[in-house]
Amino acid sequence: MNMSKPALAMMLTSALLLPCGAVAADDAESRGLANVKQFTLDHNRRLIAQAELLEAALVDYAGTIAAHGGDYASAWSSEGPRLAKQIASIRSLWLEASNHYETIEGIVAGIPATAKYDLILDAGNPGTEGEDVAEYDLKLPDGTVLKRPGNLFHGVTEPLFWGMSEAGIKLSADLNGDGKTTRGEILFDANFGLGAARALAFWAKALEADMSAWTPNREDAFTSVVVMTPTVGDYFGEWKESQFISGEIGAFVAQSRLADVQGIMGGCRKMYAEALSPVVAAGDADLDSRIKAGFEELLTLVDDTYAREASGAEFGVEEADALGNDAQDIADRIVALVLQAAAKAGVRIRG
Amino acid sequence: MKYQFKANLPPLALGMLSALVFLAGAELLRPEIPEPGVEVADIPFYQLPFGPDEAGRERPFWPSRVQTENGKMADPSQIRSAAECAACHRREFDEWAPSLHAIAGRDTVYERAVEANEDLHKDGVEKARFCEGCHAPGEVLAGRTNRFKSVMPSDAETEGITCVMCHTAIHADPEEGNGALTLAVNTGVDQVSDPMILAAPRDHARAYGAAETNALIASGDFCGACHTEAYDGSMSKAQSRQHVQTTFSEWRDSWYGRNNVTCQDCHMAPDPAAYVRQIRAGDLSKPMRYAHNFVGSNYLMFDTSLGSKLTFLRGGILPGLSDARNTELVARQGEATRALLRSAAGLALRKSEVAEGNLRFAVAVQNLGAGHNLPTGVIDQKYMWLEVVVRDSTGAEIYHSGAFDAERGETDPEAVIWREDFLDAEGKRIPDHLTFVTVAISHVRRGVPPKGEDAVIYETQLPPDAKGPFRLEARLWYRVATQEFTYNTLKTDLVIPPFELAVATFRLPDTEKVRP
Repeated sequence: MNMSKPALAMMLTSALLLPCGAVAADDAESRGLANVKQFTLDHNRRLIAQAELLEAALVDYAGTIAAHGGDYASAWSSEGPRLAKQIASIRSLWLEASNHYETIEGIVAGIPATAKYDLILDAGNPGTEGEDVAEYDLKLPDGTVLKRPGNLFHGVTEPLFWGMSEAGIKLSADLNGDGKTTRGEILFDANFGLGAARALAFWAKALEADMSAWTPNREDAFTSVVVMTPTVGDYFGEWKESQFISGEIGAFVAQSRLADVQGIMGGCRKMYAEALSPVVAAGDADLDSRIKAGFEELLTLVDDTYAREASGAEFGVEEADALGNDAQDIADRIVALVLQAAAKAGVRIRG
Repeated sequence: MKYQFKANLPPLALGMLSALVFLAGAELLRPEIPEPGVEVADIPFYQLPFGPDEAGRERPFWPSRVQTENGKMADPSQIRSAAECAACHRREFDEWAPSLHAIAGRDTVYERAVEANEDLHKDGVEKARFCEGCHAPGEVLAGRTNRFKSVMPSDAETEGITCVMCHTAIHADPEEGNGALTLAVNTGVDQVSDPMILAAPRDHARAYGAAETNALIASGDFCGACHTEAYDGSMSKAQSRQHVQTTFSEWRDSWYGRNNVTCQDCHMAPDPAAYVRQIRAGDLSKPMRYAHNFVGSNYLMFDTSLGSKLTFLRGGILPGLSDARNTELVARQGEATRALLRSAAGLALRKSEVAEGNLRFAVAVQNLGAGHNLPTGVIDQKYMWLEVVVRDSTGAEIYHSGAFDAERGETDPEAVIWREDFLDAEGKRIPDHLTFVTVAISHVRRGVPPKGEDAVIYETQLPPDAKGPFRLEARLWYRVATQEFTYNTLKTDLVIPPFELAVATFRLPDTEKVRP
């Protein structure tokens, strides 16, 4: 067999460079995995900071009630505006804290070492249920211990702070001063609230400790992208709804969160590009390029919309709906493709 | 001639034989066309938490009873969007687009209720196949009702009960319900381009207008597959079958069912209220045509006075519609909905007396025009109540029951109310439609059956100085969601306005009707 010298040289070069390529891919994956961890820890730290602010706000609120000997009617009558402001602040801080957790929830729930924190913070049932119980007891400042009360965000604090549970309501009060006392305009149990806020901060810190010891692997990286990308669609959906209903009805979850979307999406793109793209491209270069194109398309949409909003543009219902649907659709397509890539790579997805 | 034939016969026969052999060989070697649809195993990360059925077969759509004709998952790229159908079937699209069927899988009230349920259980998303099987069958059949959605999205999936979902039906079981429909979405559809449909419309008609499908979708049985709903351990905590929605059997066992006045006759009549009046007048002839408007009772989703809040509640704008066109169609459907609601009920005074200083009277709530109970469906959120106000001869109010607090959006807790309650393990009412933790269903008061009435008896002590004759104002109200649900699940302080189904004024204690 005659082989030309250039061809031989190319073969030799390829053979020598192949391991280098593999090493480079490994390095990229390692960097990407480190980024996954860093992203999670960053948001966890923001969650802790927010939970501490929430705790401080509850200390203020409980202090106001305590100054009136625990008499809510008296406190409201003397310091109504102050209490209304404190409750507004508590609700706002709660939303921020919850959003920080929602961003990393999928990762926390997907890692065996941290899954219990998802039950405690966000998803677990009270002890009266047979499964998925949030395994903790809540000790209140007055010494009362509530056995297995359910997850802290949606089982305890949200219903308490927004008056969704009759048990936590101490007094109906016209918080917004419009002359009407509608559902949700209430003073809630300060003792319960303070205990729950302290628990939130405590468990957020405990999560950080276990998260710091975590060493992410390829499965974790896929899981992260798969569970975080759809939250982008959710955030954009909230933005869409906020365009529909802003100022008209008091929706307490629909907020314009395009800044969050940018941050989270940037994180997802980075994680994919660094940790997963080399793996996916090795098996299916076309699939990899479609995923990358999806991320670019989504980020372009988010960036453009955010820039327009920042420059004062107002979106009509039809346009907001179209943009929200587009974002959701792109996010859904990205996730479907990443899941298909994970299946091809033989990666198990948890979460 | 004879000689020539004889001479040429052998090569002719050989040629024919060769041709036959060639054709037979080609047929044998022809690659087998794969059966349409997608194998469950080919959908990455598809969860089957409920296990196989008693015969050992996979149940990819369970706890919904919806299924495909060949057991395979549907390929979403093969399901046409209604917006595509609109290219030729514009009138049908414009009738359907504002309907509750079109937004069944996207309206915010429904979506939030599903999300709240999904969050209750680790397999919550898969349990929600129970809901989506009727509300968004395309999503379930394609495999997107799954914790990890590895199937690509498509427009048709966002369109709720879209064209293909009805026009491919081949079997329905209205007794079992819970979406017990078999849809030929894999083999019963065509993929012909629009010009080819025009060139050869028969193939298209065969695909979506098969005789058995046309007969089925014109029947009450078809509607019953979804408008019969029962909870069991798969989607709730019920230990025994709990009937949640019995609309089909209410109709089947009624005068309407016996006289073959079908669901479609009223709800797909071009003017449903006019058709109900026609039936009430004894004329049972069928509507001139069946419109795709599916006019029902949910007045809220057509209340254009809500402005952009309505777009929020409806979950946005369907593919193929502009904001202006959407508003126009919704407004038109709203008029039909309100007219239909007003044709359904009546009020009558059945008894009144003053005895021992007490005023007693009975108000009959009459179901005059609905071919099912009033109210019907899943009525833990939708509910009906009676408001009565009695005034003395000076106009002073001496009795009031059933007031609606428009500021807080709450109905008098002492009101006479037609509603069913979802109960938890401790027997407490679940106010916000949490199906997955419901243990039992109970009725505060069952719906009023077709052509029936429910007499409500009131008794109140008359003030010593009250003088008659007394004037009774009775109002029958209907509301599509409780305030607890709106606040806890929708997370807004929007007050859902009630709708006045009927109003009447009577003189007491005599039975003279002042104003019907």
